Amino acid sequence: MRKLYLLLLGVVFFAAQALAQRTVTGKVTDEKGNPLANVSVLVRGTTTGTTTKEDGTYSLTVPANAKALVFSSVDMSPVEQAIGTASVVNATLKAEDRTMSEVVVVGYGTQRRRDVTGSVSRISGDKTKDLPVQSFEQALSGRAAGVSVTLPNGVLNAPPVVRVRGINAMGLSSFPLVVIDGIPTFSGNAGNSAANNVLSDINPGDIESVEVLKDAAAAAIYGSRAAAGVILVTTKEGKQGKARVNYDAWVGFTRPFNLVPLLDAREYELIKNEGLTNAGTPPNGTTRGFYPYIGPDGQPVNTNWYDVVYRQGVSHTHNINVSGANDRTNYFFSAGFTKQKGMIFNNDFKRLTTLMSLEHKVNSRFTVGGKFQYSTSKNSGLNTGSLPGQAFNTSGVGRLAFNLMPNVPVFLNNGAYNINTASNTIGQGGNITALQFTNPKYLLDKNIFTSENDRILANAYGTVKIFDGLQFKMVFGIDNLQVTNKAFQDFLHGDGVGQAGSATNTLQTYRRWNWQNLLTYDKTFGKHTVGVLGGIEEQYTSSDGWGASRQGVTDPFYNEYQGGYNNILPAGNFLGENYLISYIARLNYGYARKYLASVNFRRDGYSAFAPDNKYGNFFGGSLGYVVSEEKFFKNSGLSRVMNLLKFKGSYGEVGNIQGIGDFAFWTSFSSGLYAAAPSIFFSQAGNRDLRWENSKKTDIGVEMGFFRGRLTAEITYYKNIINDGILAEPTAPSRGIPGNSITTNIGSMYNKGWEVTLTGTVVQTKNFTWNSSFNITTLKNVVTRLANQNADIQPATSGLERPSMVRVGESLGVFYVVRTGGVNPANGQRIYYYSNGTAVQYNHAASAVNRWTLVSNGAVAPRVADQASDGVIIGPALPKWQGGFDNTFRYKNFDLNILMFFSGGNYVYNGSKAGQRDMRSWNNMKDMLKRWQKPGDITDIPRVVFGDNISNGSGIVISENVEKGDFLKARNITLGYAAPKNVTDKLGISSIRFYVQMQNAFTFTKYSGFDPEISSNGNGFGNPSVDRNSVPQARTVNIGINLGF
Amino acid sequence: MKLKITVYTLIAGLALAGCSKGKLSPIPQTFLSEAVAFSDSARCVQQVNGLYSAFKQGQMMAGRYMVYQDVRGEEFLNVTNNAVTAWLTWQFNLTAGTNEVNFFWNACYATINRCNVVIAGLATAPISGTLKTNMTAEAKLIRAAAYFMLMQLYAKPYTDGNGSNLGVILKLNAETSIGDNNQARTTAAIIYAQILQDLNDAEANLPSFYTNNSPTTLLNTTRAHKNTAIALKTRVYLNMANWASVITEGNKLVPAAAPWNAPTGVANGLNPSISSVFTVYSNNESIWSAPFTTLDIPGTQNGLGWYYNPGPNGGNEYELNLTGNGICADPNWSAVDARRAFNQVTSGRTYLRKWPKPAADADWSPIVRYAEVMLNLAEALARNAPGTSVDARALAILNSIRQRSDPTLPNFTPADKNALVALILNERRIELLGEGFRTSDVGRTGATYAAKGTVSSVAPGTTQYIWPIPLGELLVNRACQQNSGY
Repeated sequence: MRKLYLLLLGVVFFAAQALAQRTVTGKVTDEKGNPLANVSVLVRGTTTGTTTKEDGTYSLTVPANAKALVFSSVDMSPVEQAIGTASVVNATLKAEDRTMSEVVVVGYGTQRRRDVTGSVSRISGDKTKDLPVQSFEQALSGRAAGVSVTLPNGVLNAPPVVRVRGINAMGLSSFPLVVIDGIPTFSGNAGNSAANNVLSDINPGDIESVEVLKDAAAAAIYGSRAAAGVILVTTKEGKQGKARVNYDAWVGFTRPFNLVPLLDAREYELIKNEGLTNAGTPPNGTTRGFYPYIGPDGQPVNTNWYDVVYRQGVSHTHNINVSGANDRTNYFFSAGFTKQKGMIFNNDFKRLTTLMSLEHKVNSRFTVGGKFQYSTSKNSGLNTGSLPGQAFNTSGVGRLAFNLMPNVPVFLNNGAYNINTASNTIGQGGNITALQFTNPKYLLDKNIFTSENDRILANAYGTVKIFDGLQFKMVFGIDNLQVTNKAFQDFLHGDGVGQAGSATNTLQTYRRWNWQNLLTYDKTFGKHTVGVLGGIEEQYTSSDGWGASRQGVTDPFYNEYQGGYNNILPAGNFLGENYLISYIARLNYGYARKYLASVNFRRDGYSAFAPDNKYGNFFGGSLGYVVSEEKFFKNSGLSRVMNLLKFKGSYGEVGNIQGIGDFAFWTSFSSGLYAAAPSIFFSQAGNRDLRWENSKKTDIGVEMGFFRGRLTAEITYYKNIINDGILAEPTAPSRGIPGNSITTNIGSMYNKGWEVTLTGTVVQTKNFTWNSSFNITTLKNVVTRLANQNADIQPATSGLERPSMVRVGESLGVFYVVRTGGVNPANGQRIYYYSNGTAVQYNHAASAVNRWTLVSNGAVAPRVADQASDGVIIGPALPKWQGGFDNTFRYKNFDLNILMFFSGGNYVYNGSKAGQRDMRSWNNMKDMLKRWQKPGDITDIPRVVFGDNISNGSGIVISENVEKGDFLKARNITLGYAAPKNVTDKLGISSIRFYVQMQNAFTFTKYSGFDPEISSNGNGFGNPSVDRNSVPQARTVNIGINLGF
Repeated sequence: MKLKITVYTLIAGLALAGCSKGKLSPIPQTFLSEAVAFSDSARCVQQVNGLYSAFKQGQMMAGRYMVYQDVRGEEFLNVTNNAVTAWLTWQFNLTAGTNEVNFFWNACYATINRCNVVIAGLATAPISGTLKTNMTAEAKLIRAAAYFMLMQLYAKPYTDGNGSNLGVILKLNAETSIGDNNQARTTAAIIYAQILQDLNDAEANLPSFYTNNSPTTLLNTTRAHKNTAIALKTRVYLNMANWASVITEGNKLVPAAAPWNAPTGVANGLNPSISSVFTVYSNNESIWSAPFTTLDIPGTQNGLGWYYNPGPNGGNEYELNLTGNGICADPNWSAVDARRAFNQVTSGRTYLRKWPKPAADADWSPIVRYAEVMLNLAEALARNAPGTSVDARALAILNSIRQRSDPTLPNFTPADKNALVALILNERRIELLGEGFRTSDVGRTGATYAAKGTVSSVAPGTTQYIWPIPLGELLVNRACQQNSGY
């Protein structure tokens, strides 16, 4: 073989001589003189070329008529050097002013940053690839202005709350459209009690960049789906140069943090027995009272239920990829594996991914390519009580961990689980008064919840250059997602008792195809730059779910669906389809890089709307003025400091259909059963006038660059006005409309605010650099119109509690609570205020008709205090400001990154606190020891009365439990060390870096709950910032390696 | 030239790409549109079945209605302190925002609107006149029953002011689209008049029976017939203290003397065994019951069995009150009474085990029993008797009810009319325990809710005597009036 090579080489050498070629050698270095590897060296005007070696040198045989060599490399400005007669041609490449020459992915194409007039945030995949997350968008928190990412809690793979410039839909989804390599993809949670954010099927390690389209100019090309912004994900491709191999891996340790301190066993008995005494029913040792349980060691037990529910989870991730490209073909292949154990027992996430990307220029006219991603993942979980709709689940472990009684054991002294099967509750231990809640240890050991995905994301495309500048591209992509959910709930204890044990398996299949035919024309005529896009896009989506619940397990041995059961019921059945057809047009125009303009238009037809309303038109337009390109500017003194000054503005109208039902306009009757007989019932009041939700977006901004791009600033004002918001318009319950609502275009609101981004290199010396990036976004949200002459809407938390309010003139989801005034020092009763200011107090120990009295004279109050009569608005619940502060320090081979995330100006409803102060048999927070005990005591904890769930705010939502939500969180701290070149050379590798990082390192806040970064209602409409029985956030410490060959 | 061809081909290709009008108008495959929902008799029958389904949903006859009625009384003690299983109702600590106050209201009005939609749909359905008349009558009967249920909890008793107080909101038209949400409550008298009109129409137009008059024919228990309408009327008139009308209606079903069998329609009557009334669901005593199967269940935390059974078959929510005012403490309720056999001890607590089966395979809920009609009639006869006289037929009915379950007992010998009435009221507490009558019986007699456990008594005229109107209605319906004190 080797002989053959030598022979071939010899032939080539000979041939070269014969054609009067010659050899040029040289060395390519950076500005500091360091050699640059993998620099492309091309003979100008040909495809003849090579790349530089590790030491920066190259050797190239060039034709005799070669005039010049072009040196180019990623992130460097290309350099052209004349050859003349020289046989040695050296080159020095300078780092590009990256911010301006950076290529930005926009809808259906790319643009240079300097030509962009829309508002686009770009987040490089390098920023997010090593983070201990399940899905990429979890890693975007704090990274870009206007992109708000809230992690709802520490449940693995729970979808984060993602908002682009505030909440941009009234009743529909405010989650941005996610487009992966040009194909709109599925998002949301497809799991059961095991959360399953389907975006986690994308391996964050495969992502090259994430672009967020924020204004109409950028997003309107997505027309009817652009209202909530668009997230464009671009996966990696091979880069010019020899093949590279990268291996990235980390191992992480995760734990909950900021747990609220609770009463221990003795304190619990003290408080609860005192409550019984104050209720007039003192503990008597026979029919009521709270007493210790003596454990096997002869000591009363003192159980910390946090330890039963939470753990230190160990995770690890491995990604390997091979990539490369020459001037005709580029390829990328990756394989990834992650196995993560969360902070809650049984909460695991496992994923295998592979990505294959190939593009080949067939000739100067045709290019073909495609991508293929396959992912298989498994989410395992338990009922955490922390996903939307679960907050009040009796067996949600979030609340079990803080509400279970500390004076009862996990296991009885005889080794059996401490459970009471007559009441389906935790066993009594030594207590006599009846207890509530279930034993999480039993549930963890017996119940199983899994949600597994098989996902294929693939596309194939071809482009043809018709003539210079005009190109046709056809893309066909699919997104096929299959989700298998399995749940087993044990017959003896917990949620499965009602079904005598149940196994529920469902299969959900989501299929989408997307076909795009695009014509583009890009051409520069002198100083005029023109870009035109025209196209047609079709997208068809089907969803198909079916399954069953087998109930009444016939033998305790069985815990799989295929075991023995008495009954079977249908479960998880659904069938839907939708179709979107779109006509797209865009025109970009630039003059001398000074004056920029763009117009885009999209006409969408969507199947979910009534026949007369299927089509909608959307557009966006923008203007940009690069003052710094003007001669007068360049000649002025200012230009020495300021290298860029660009003004831009845009306006457009886009729509929203995300989250609307496939058959939303139909008035329909569904089928059911009346015992053994079939039935039909009125199930949906339709609306044939249903049409697009309309969103008008305005954006005015200025970009500035100083000191040759060393410092950049971008300041933007935005305003989004949402009209015809599709709301589930509340109908009076007495009208008996199914669901008490009709889907209607009725809501209006607006979001407005400022975005500021400052990025700069603070210090740059030979050994030390400090790069800093700061962003902040402000938000003012006001609801301006609602249905039924602006009738209020109170979205419930998990169907049971209604602290949130949607009201005209207020920010979306403000809190609507009865105002409280602390605790009356005279009698220890909580003080409430009527809407007219009258102070009343509540004494649970009094008889039912005498519980409410006037604070002024102790007389029986004319009525109870409640939300309907006395509710006041406290808000906003949406943060008024949010942002990130990202600092990277490099000293020699060390790098340190600190990303701070901050948010505030809002309030959070701490419903968990109500639960933690509940005076039933539930355990309480340590604060309860400060309770009122005697006249004159000044405290915020009322006199404890057993059975009281009013004074704590459970029965009536009160202002006591609404707290400020300001916080500053160290989202991520990473310390890395990259081995110097002499070491890597010895090892025969190109790079190696070790790092240690901490995710959610610490939080500064005055919030008294686990964490003010919370969303018990997930991405829900109208009820943000509610904290109800959720688990806390996770803190993760990682050790990792990046290895390059 | 070649180039031009390429361009034209591409343009043609682009134009072809955009077609597919059919895909823009998909027809849903899993539900029926309004256009075809009443298109033939089979669908109309299914629509009527849908009304019964609504009426027996979790909030209503699957059990929560009966539970709310009964736990306000003194017969039960709450075990779990669970705010979503009527604990706040039990302790008279409700506000307009409380879940049961909202959900029960919503369920009743959803049922009423389904009735109105079906009445409207049947009017134009291409089906036979008889079927149309029969099924419209069923819809009216269910609508009447739902209004009656609303009146028991949200309004002052009819007997307080003879119907002059506020009732609920009267809805008689199908509501299927966007419309006016504001409507005030009418008086109790107007609501009761509508209930009676619907029941009278139902009696006139319902079939006497389905297929045959055997009580073991399934539909004779699960769908309404003439006897059902008559039986309900005795209940409604009793709550209006209209004794004469109770007697008129009662006489249609209850003969002058034993044996107690209905002379017409389905062969309803007093079953010889109280225990079989709850185990053999299609029996002569069960004029109307809400059926359940393993595929049609009461739902999570619903169902009579869920409330009154200990685990694993129930939620251990309520135990019987064995002390003080509870009927179980009544020394005259003998230990050998068959109805005492329902009261069973588990882990030191006594539970009402009339519906012992688990939620996944729930026992049927009784809606109207022949024994209730007898007691309704007996009370009306007793109260309607002249002077202080003891009505013999009323006494005979009372003795029959008591002696069915305890044959060892001698006949009652009440001294006068008031004593007889008191005995009948007491017998209702024993016979109908857990079946959803306590709030109505306390309210219509103007009695005080007796203290129980840690909960003190609630007298007539206090705020807590009736439920508040739900917050969900008040927020959207600006014309709706709240009950005073809430």
